[in-house]
Amino acid sequence: MQLGPPVRNTRNKKAKKGWKNDRFWYIVLRYFADCAIAGDRKSMRFILIDKVVLLESGKQIKAVKGVSLAEEYLADHFPTFPVLPGVFLLEGLIESASWLVREAENFAHSMILLEDARNIKYKSFLAPGSQIEYVVQAKTIEENVSSFTGFGISGGEQIVEGRLGLRHFNLADENPAMATVDAQIIENMKKQWKLLWH
Amino acid sequence: MAISRDEIFQRVQEVLVDALGVDDDQITIEATLMGDLGAESIDFLDIVFRLEKAFGIKIPREELFPAENLMTNPQFVNNGKLTEAGLKELRTKMPHTDITKFEKNPDINKLGDLFTVGAIVNYLQTKVGSS
Repeated sequence: MQLGPPVRNTRNKKAKKGWKNDRFWYIVLRYFADCAIAGDRKSMRFILIDKVVLLESGKQIKAVKGVSLAEEYLADHFPTFPVLPGVFLLEGLIESASWLVREAENFAHSMILLEDARNIKYKSFLAPGSQIEYVVQAKTIEENVSSFTGFGISGGEQIVEGRLGLRHFNLADENPAMATVDAQIIENMKKQWKLLWH
Repeated sequence: MAISRDEIFQRVQEVLVDALGVDDDQITIEATLMGDLGAESIDFLDIVFRLEKAFGIKIPREELFPAENLMTNPQFVNNGKLTEAGLKELRTKMPHTDITKFEKNPDINKLGDLFTVGAIVNYLQTKVGSS
């Protein structure tokens, strides 16, 4: 589950101050937290990796995703030439990096958000029937921030690459009343981890 | 009033810095929008809007970025490669871009490599430049 400011704004160094308003983000995060607790797959929740195939704790993760013609967003992107949208390739990298953090810090934080995405490059398209392997290496993983380089490769072709910065925290850090929400989100993340890495 | 190629390039540079969040020194004439600057579908829409504002002209998206029409027409694409008809359409839609290298292996995955900063500047020159 990836939350936070829209990816495009975090790439733009001149992003407006509005979205950094704490109260605004509290409301948004609360909404997503509620969805996460409900484990409700019908609400907005993305899962852009299918399985983790390699894990070097705190160092490197490799995860795969198969692209299916049944993915609903492909119907518009594009009608006669379906390819995975660039933002979802990026989401795959972000999710891979996020799981590397969660496993390394033993699920200490409920919230893992994209802080910045740099030098993102889209080298090739990814069509249904393909499988992409995301390879993400940690540069640093500290208590509340981490940085990574990563790429996605399919059939020997480079598809996407870039650098990511994440930040991690608990909702209770700002508001102690949210501690139970944190706990429930972390529970759900642990369950999802069992589906991805076994 | 006609605008010089340098001035066009400068304004394009500003637009791309704002739209893509890259540094201005990454924006060279040969830089490809997707492969080098990280643009993807939603960015093309944004870039067109910003260019329209920067140059005070209307830009039909398929004129500046003919890829979408090319890629989605079964007459132009077969087995992941552009057909002869597709190549002809490409030459017509991007008359100022040299496609000889692409023609040797018209793999649709490499179509993005043709969409460079230079291609945008060339297009704008036909619209607002001194001829």
